[in-house]
Amino acid sequence: MRPAARIFWILGVFFALVAAAYGTVTGVYEPWGIEMVGLATVIALSGLGFLIAIFLTLTGRHHSFGSADSLDGEVEDEPGVQGSFSPYSWAPLWASLGASLCFLGIAAGWWIFAFGIIVGVYGVLLWVLEFSRGQHAH
Amino acid sequence: MSTQTPVSTTTRSAAPDRFVKSGSTGLGKQIFNVLTTTDHKMIGILYMSLAFAFFAFGGLLALGIRAELWEPGLQVVVSKDQYNQLFTMHGTIMLLMFGTPLFNGFANFLVPLQIGAVDMAFPRLNMFALWLTGFGSVIAVSGFLTPQGAASFGWTAYAPLSDTTFTPGLGGDLWVFGLALQGFGTILGSVNIITTIITMRMPGMTMFRMPIFTWNALITGVLVLMAFPPLASALLALGADRRFEANIFNPENGGPILWQHLFWFFGHPEVYVLALPFFGIVTEIIPAFSRKPIFGYKTLVGATIAIAALSVTVWAHHMYTLGTVMLEFFAFMTMLIAVPTGVKFFNWIGTMWRGSITFETPMLFTLGFLTTFIFGGLTGVILSTPVLDFHIQDTYFVVAHFHYVMAGTVVFGMFAGFYFWWPKMFGHKLSESIGKVHFWLLTIGFHMTFLIQHWLGVIGAPRRYVNYLAEDNFDWLNQVSTVGAFIMGASTLPFLLNVVLTHIRTEKIEVDDPWGFGASLEWATSCPPPRHNFHSLPRIRSERPAFDLHHPEVAAQDHMLEQEPAVNVRTN
Repeated sequence: MRPAARIFWILGVFFALVAAAYGTVTGVYEPWGIEMVGLATVIALSGLGFLIAIFLTLTGRHHSFGSADSLDGEVEDEPGVQGSFSPYSWAPLWASLGASLCFLGIAAGWWIFAFGIIVGVYGVLLWVLEFSRGQHAH
Repeated sequence: MSTQTPVSTTTRSAAPDRFVKSGSTGLGKQIFNVLTTTDHKMIGILYMSLAFAFFAFGGLLALGIRAELWEPGLQVVVSKDQYNQLFTMHGTIMLLMFGTPLFNGFANFLVPLQIGAVDMAFPRLNMFALWLTGFGSVIAVSGFLTPQGAASFGWTAYAPLSDTTFTPGLGGDLWVFGLALQGFGTILGSVNIITTIITMRMPGMTMFRMPIFTWNALITGVLVLMAFPPLASALLALGADRRFEANIFNPENGGPILWQHLFWFFGHPEVYVLALPFFGIVTEIIPAFSRKPIFGYKTLVGATIAIAALSVTVWAHHMYTLGTVMLEFFAFMTMLIAVPTGVKFFNWIGTMWRGSITFETPMLFTLGFLTTFIFGGLTGVILSTPVLDFHIQDTYFVVAHFHYVMAGTVVFGMFAGFYFWWPKMFGHKLSESIGKVHFWLLTIGFHMTFLIQHWLGVIGAPRRYVNYLAEDNFDWLNQVSTVGAFIMGASTLPFLLNVVLTHIRTEKIEVDDPWGFGASLEWATSCPPPRHNFHSLPRIRSERPAFDLHHPEVAAQDHMLEQEPAVNVRTN
């Protein structure tokens, strides 16, 4: 986890520096003043880097991520269940069809949008409840 | 762990009998698999098929453009607007519906295999992203079916040209919202790839033992997260302008410059979204056919991170002639990118240096990529210099430059990857002899088409013009380029022939590593891999676990001085 977090720390710091440099040089040397679009976007990038870095650092502090980062990791270190993977699913098709009809509806006509909402709600419900067996059943 | 029938409908040899339940080869079952699969390998192959279909379509549009430019006057298109539609959709398709899904395809197929994972972190999200990409692309292209035709404002959609006054019609709306939709697909796919690489590496697979392709997929994923949200916001704002008269890009509010900044803030990183995965592909191929480990693994990783970080700080070099951008800043940052790129070339050549090189088809395409990319990189340095750029902005010199950079990288890299991993994807190799015909046709066609366009640009041919005058003397240059384009188009035929022929006369690959010197973990499982990828995983002690597994004597030499047991056996 730590090497991964480090990449995002680097990106966060790098873009903070770029934002400072870009804001300064456009502000000082350009007759049009600070170029706001690029400055805002680079600041947002720095925020993105820090956001992911802080998340990874905090998560890595509370959870073990196995021996993936261990130079001496052995396959036996992580026996058993690897996770639960949906064998197949109709949900992505319906959900994406709903999203597509909504976007198409905005572009081409609102009646398509209405159908998109219906299909999309069905897709999302299917997605969320696909492996649900009731509230207290396991 | 859940199990399911391994899914691959693309060839009959793709699913070995031992993994197939009875009755799973019927057409209904195959359609069911394509519609509902959550298997990362199947999704990867679907992404690649989608991308290749759009590659063919975008290529046909390009042939239309080149045929139109054969001689002065209108020959192929009936109106100038049709020509605008051709080059707009050619650019859109090649960048966003061919190149970007192709990255997702290769990353989907390879990343879990290369890090020893059973699947991607979010299998259903993976399929969702594929559908969004597919549906969004179809929506954007469907403008061709509307009365006014497809979008015709260039793939850059500069305001105010892209507003409803100058480009009315449904085609533009479909373009905007289709691209926004498929952009979300790309973002979600990248989230999936990043999460998979961070959380699902097998024991011992540290970050600095990951194959370079996986590294590049990770960094490309981060780059997508940085570049595509600005595009999505810009597109939705443009959509609001077009549909709800939001006036965000109204010239009275300085909208055109806002659009250019936002668009190129996406547009330049997008170039590297297209390039970095294919850098990764060739970095996998060169060591395998040079019989040497990668020269400078860590510098390659560092160079990739540096390219990605720098690429987001150079967007306004597309806007030098605008007059309101900080030329010094962007020229400096742009020239800086040449440094890590040079480092990469140094490493690639260092890997080949004194290696025992053989020229199988994947290696040929890799060398083809190196050639085109060095040309494109050099003209890039010319274009990054404002005093030079002012003279050739929006001429065919720029067209030649970005085709060398992007088309060269993606197309040569794609075919290199196809020939290299075809046995892993489908269980049989493509024919070497047809592959070589394919390579030479593509190389000759490519350079014939685009090299001459540099001179065309220098003598002043502007891009995106449907016509030129006889007294311009562009005729013979354009004709050379057009002949080259048709050779390049024809070079796809041997590839398709190759796919069909090798599919009919399948020679099943029985070994894990048909090339003999594969380094990364995908060569330590069967061809094609089983549903959850591995029956047994080797122990990871270096950057090339599969090579250690298949050539323990070399690993033993390397580890002679170390304390650990020299034999590298399968551990389960």
